[in-house]
Amino acid sequence: MKKRIALLLTVAMVLGLAACGSKTEEPAAAEPAQTEGEAEAETPDAEPAGDDAATPAASGDTVKVAFITQSLSNASQAFAWSQFQKFAGEYGFEVTLFDEDYDAQNGVAAIGTCIAQKYTAICMNPTDPSALIPAIQEAKEAGIIIGLYSSELPEGFATTEYRDFMCGTNDVLFGEIAAKTLMEAFPDGCNVVEVGGQSGHAAQINRHDGFFNTIDDSINVLDAQDCQEWASEDAMAIMEDFITKYGSDIQAVYCHWDVGLTGCIEAMKASSDIDIANVYTIGVDGCAIGFDQVKEGTQSLCIGQSFTQMTIDAFDCITTIMNGGTLESDVVWTEPQIITTDTLDDYPYPEW
Amino acid sequence: MTKTKTNPYLEFLKQNLVLCGIVVLIIVTAIAEPKFLGTSNLNNVLRQLGPLPFAALGMTFVIIGGFIDLSIVGIISLVGVITIGLVDPLGQVGALLAGILLGAFLGWLNGLVLTTCGAMTQAEVLFITYGMSSIYTALALIYTGSETLRISRSEKSISIFTTLGSTNIGIIPVVLVVFVIVLILMHLFHRKTIWGRAIALMGGNKDAAYLAGFNMKRTMRLAYAINGTMSALASIALLSRVTTATATSGANYETNAILCVVVGGTTLKGGKGSVLRTMLGVVLITLLGNCMNMLNLSTYMQTVMRGAVLVIAIWLDNRKEL
Repeated sequence: MKKRIALLLTVAMVLGLAACGSKTEEPAAAEPAQTEGEAEAETPDAEPAGDDAATPAASGDTVKVAFITQSLSNASQAFAWSQFQKFAGEYGFEVTLFDEDYDAQNGVAAIGTCIAQKYTAICMNPTDPSALIPAIQEAKEAGIIIGLYSSELPEGFATTEYRDFMCGTNDVLFGEIAAKTLMEAFPDGCNVVEVGGQSGHAAQINRHDGFFNTIDDSINVLDAQDCQEWASEDAMAIMEDFITKYGSDIQAVYCHWDVGLTGCIEAMKASSDIDIANVYTIGVDGCAIGFDQVKEGTQSLCIGQSFTQMTIDAFDCITTIMNGGTLESDVVWTEPQIITTDTLDDYPYPEW
Repeated sequence: MTKTKTNPYLEFLKQNLVLCGIVVLIIVTAIAEPKFLGTSNLNNVLRQLGPLPFAALGMTFVIIGGFIDLSIVGIISLVGVITIGLVDPLGQVGALLAGILLGAFLGWLNGLVLTTCGAMTQAEVLFITYGMSSIYTALALIYTGSETLRISRSEKSISIFTTLGSTNIGIIPVVLVVFVIVLILMHLFHRKTIWGRAIALMGGNKDAAYLAGFNMKRTMRLAYAINGTMSALASIALLSRVTTATATSGANYETNAILCVVVGGTTLKGGKGSVLRTMLGVVLITLLGNCMNMLNLSTYMQTVMRGAVLVIAIWLDNRKEL
């Protein structure tokens, strides 16, 4: 009887996963997780910029574009993939997902697969860009268009010798915007604490550097601490400790990501030592939670990144290169969104 | 026959190493940062205990039973997102109960899978529960589409979650009061019931437990069901505290829970241990995090310290056997 129950449960689970898997499969190391073809094209919200956008589709050739991402468990990357699928049809691309699952070796294997299967282009947001350089060189030699998406190769390799283009947001700029906004909000200076993202992560380092290199002497950084993971509980615990140490001396909080700022906000709400109404709060990402917090008045500034625009920029670059054109610049920065209560309605509510 | 003279102080230190560690940590941090001993920080530390004690409590039973469970990462994540998702259709009480039942079921399912496939060593159990964790996390990812769910978006009342997450009785957080009740119940279960003893006997000597007439498979499923239930409570405490849940919000809870259990003195070999001592481990690990933040230690150093504490705890555990 128990064996039957176990068997039934296992079969139910496998069937359930198989059914769901047709939508979001867990990928094997070098096997593509998903492929979305031209037939699934949807009407985009934003207009593609390039004049050549329809060229490959018109010629009838299949243009295979791979998207290698750190992990689909990251909400921003899941949304980015949805944008790849959304715009693929419009550009005549067949897009395929490779999920690194935070393992650089999976990225190397994915590039190998793309070379073997003669992909036209690869867009990648790798876990460890340095680890992929030899594989990227191999792909370049095989004639594949290499694009970095929302991340960049390390210094010395961020040239067209290694990759054709980079589309993304500038994390250093995010830090700079946070610093400048803070200096404008507090012309006489203020005390700020910084709750960093995952320690050692490129985004955490750049968002920190951009902020610290921009603030002037009027901004007094009381304390700065990074999290072990991009986990709001980590951010909350750090903020609680900051409140214990500095209490109402804290006038501003700069957190590297909106969901982390949720933890900071909850820590302030729960404490009698600080009044959140008197604290200027800054978060980065521009996800739905950030928008909600700006709307509620608990987040003063949300610095957003548009993955929709980033995807369009990447597809335009691929199309231009494919058609023998030359890019105006091999680096295409996506304009950051400055979301406050005044500008909230200027931006579409994010889907992630 | 000569009798070896033992130093009573050394003996006390050996027997109460965790307690001594806590005292040393408090003294050192208080000297470096006087605000550490304030009421505000005491409340802070009590709040930071949050979900970890529940996870460690459940893990204690599995480890006493001679096994290990890496699936709590997946259980905490899945229960969190499902509970938030059920608040609107079922109301907060219904969502809470459904979350706890789901955790118990997933734990029981782990036990069923393990017993069905005959996994009886820690290595087998380790890999199978890791696999189960991946399945639960994947289900949570499918359910959320990788989105972060926020409980305050619910249209129905979330007062129970708010109370659990941010309300105090004096300086004692409500969630801690709930935990103490659960702790007392689980301690009584462990010490006073036949099933509690069966779990310990299974961990100490499976053959003896079998010959004594205990149903090993049922005992194993019970230990895992308890762990699943405790993981669900940890998940609810977590989402009440941070007000959000993601498909990966349970990350690292398995290592931290095991760390607390081992540091508390429960042997990884099974058979011996105490839920009360695990709580000393929880206090030490939580306090360690708080102290390191207060002393401005970098995140890298904090990770080194946690790793070192785990290695030392296992080393001391093994030394006892020599």
